[in-house]
Amino acid sequence: MTWFYLNLEAFSFALLSILFEGIPFLLLGSLISGIVDVFVSSERVSKMMPKGPISSVFLAGFMGMIFPICECGSVVVVRRFVRKGLPVGCAIAYMLAAPIVSPIVAISTYKAFSTGVVGGAPMEPWVMMLLRMGMGFTVAVIVALVVQKLPHRRILQPSMLEAANETKRTGLRIAGGADAPDFATLVAQASPRRKIVLAIQSAASDFLDVAFFFVIGAGLASLFVGFKEAAILPLASSPFLSIVTLMGLASILCLCSTTDAFVAANAFAKFSVAANLGFLVFGPMFDLKLFWLYGMIFKRRFVFILGLGMFALVAFLCWQVGTVDAWKPPTPGGASAAVEAPASQPLASPETPLPSNP
Amino acid sequence: MKSLFGRWLPALTLTLWGGAIALYAFDQRIEQVLAYEFKVYAIIASVLLLGCSIVVAAAKTDASCCVDSACGHGLSRSNSGRILTFAIILLPIALAPFGSKAALNQVLFKNRIATEDGSNLSSKLKEQLEKKFAARPNNLPAPAANSLPPEPAPNVTDPVGLPPLPGAVQPPPALPLPTADGSTPAPMPAAVSQAPTDWLVRTPDGLIVAEVIDLLYAAQDNTLRADFEGKRVQLIGQYMPDPANTGPSRFKAVRMFMTCCAADARPIATLVEVEKTPDFKEMDWIKITGVPTFPLEKGRRVSVLKAEKIEKTEAIVDDMPPGQ
Repeated sequence: MTWFYLNLEAFSFALLSILFEGIPFLLLGSLISGIVDVFVSSERVSKMMPKGPISSVFLAGFMGMIFPICECGSVVVVRRFVRKGLPVGCAIAYMLAAPIVSPIVAISTYKAFSTGVVGGAPMEPWVMMLLRMGMGFTVAVIVALVVQKLPHRRILQPSMLEAANETKRTGLRIAGGADAPDFATLVAQASPRRKIVLAIQSAASDFLDVAFFFVIGAGLASLFVGFKEAAILPLASSPFLSIVTLMGLASILCLCSTTDAFVAANAFAKFSVAANLGFLVFGPMFDLKLFWLYGMIFKRRFVFILGLGMFALVAFLCWQVGTVDAWKPPTPGGASAAVEAPASQPLASPETPLPSNP
Repeated sequence: MKSLFGRWLPALTLTLWGGAIALYAFDQRIEQVLAYEFKVYAIIASVLLLGCSIVVAAAKTDASCCVDSACGHGLSRSNSGRILTFAIILLPIALAPFGSKAALNQVLFKNRIATEDGSNLSSKLKEQLEKKFAARPNNLPAPAANSLPPEPAPNVTDPVGLPPLPGAVQPPPALPLPTADGSTPAPMPAAVSQAPTDWLVRTPDGLIVAEVIDLLYAAQDNTLRADFEGKRVQLIGQYMPDPANTGPSRFKAVRMFMTCCAADARPIATLVEVEKTPDFKEMDWIKITGVPTFPLEKGRRVSVLKAEKIEKTEAIVDDMPPGQ
């Protein structure tokens, strides 16, 4: 096969590296989830959000700026909050927006595109950063508002459905018999030290729950290490195909949102602003590992439809961005505002020169 | 059976994962797997995982994984399914002994598009370069006088009409290029220099030790370019033919650059110009002695190393990005 080359040694090493990279974030999410499980009651969760369904979704989207967490960790946290009674629309808005609107992601995007040129077109790094954050937030809110209208029974996993409908505390699973105490009672009776133990147990349980799907997703992503990038280069010149190609690639590469901008800036320099934007917005919202992780909260059929819907929405928005003349890639002899890369200009700014001989 | 799935298997799984990361950190293998900042996160995670495993094993509460209907794992309905669940979580650790950084690099080398244009280097990479240059010692012994003749006067103007580069030097005269067998056909020209580059690392022979990334960056930075242009350098990389080569005989010297983890590494390459394309195999590790030039080609300044001598060399096992 000319477009695919892989072997077991490479696959094993790639898999391990993806897991080593993702596990700290998965664990962070699990620990937050454990703390929420024990120390935050359902009543408090329901008081946290505004009563209006639209305002609460908007606020949930913005929460990613205040509580930044990457996509692996956010799923675990959101699952816990939904079990605690957070409206599903708010959960979706936070889950989709948090990996993109976080300050860490904003800074990394700014820095990655600091050369000021994307796909041969001039592009200020702060514009690229704002486009990414703005589009991520917009897509998250639109999807959340739509999902909020859907009946929970059709979208949530049965175990989540029971929890979401409850108004009392829905903590970690109690594996005792019928006479086992309710979790709320267990927590209420526990000493502070015991509560910490319960939180750690809950976090460990969540971690193992999610790790299973993370391993499967990372395994699939590792398979695509064998994919020859040159096969997609001819598509870079097509305004629409370049967008959907990079979006598809983002979903199979499963990169972390805090660092994907660096990969895009290096690897897809020949692709347009719109295509790079598609890569940066769609990847953190929906990729192979997230497909499995989302399946822990939502029914698989819904996750599949969610992915298709978001793909169409992001592709459409990127297509619209691609029609802006100033961000179009250069055409031979065309009057586009596109520019050559600043080949002979120093990239180090005068304020921060490279150290030279004293 | 309940305590097996609720307590012992979870504790064992957490221990193995925490232990695996700790082991990789302890014997430095983690540096081949992760970039610096992720390495720190992974080490913290390993400690936390081991701590969690102790709590899960020691505490008596039935809070657990895979023991009731609320378990998120699809295989949790039967005992064999539950065991399979834990087997899948532990599968990557079982596969770890088969993993090889060299094999992954080979796959990435063949599959990923090499970055040759310095203007596409990410700022993360540039920051790492700046760190690297800042860390280089300034008190290196001066090279032997007979190996490094004095530097010519800085009087060159940029070919595209830019003002003279600070510290710019005359481009070297045409050099005798190596033959296909990698032998050195002629002695070195005099167009090599000493000051102001004594902050750069040099070989015992006085050659500047350059990396592919140095030359790519130098192509985009006037100050750094002046430090390399026209000087004799030694560069180690992997041989890659250049199918797009239409002019003088050229190939690429490639190194891998990791952004976050080994799976996202990609090749970065500088062009090497020779009289006749050498007879190396793809991915052979080669040591090149030559003089960097930075001509403008198709509107971009590119890095072309005019080779004087090319020889096979041992693989660099610890193929780390700069500044780590």
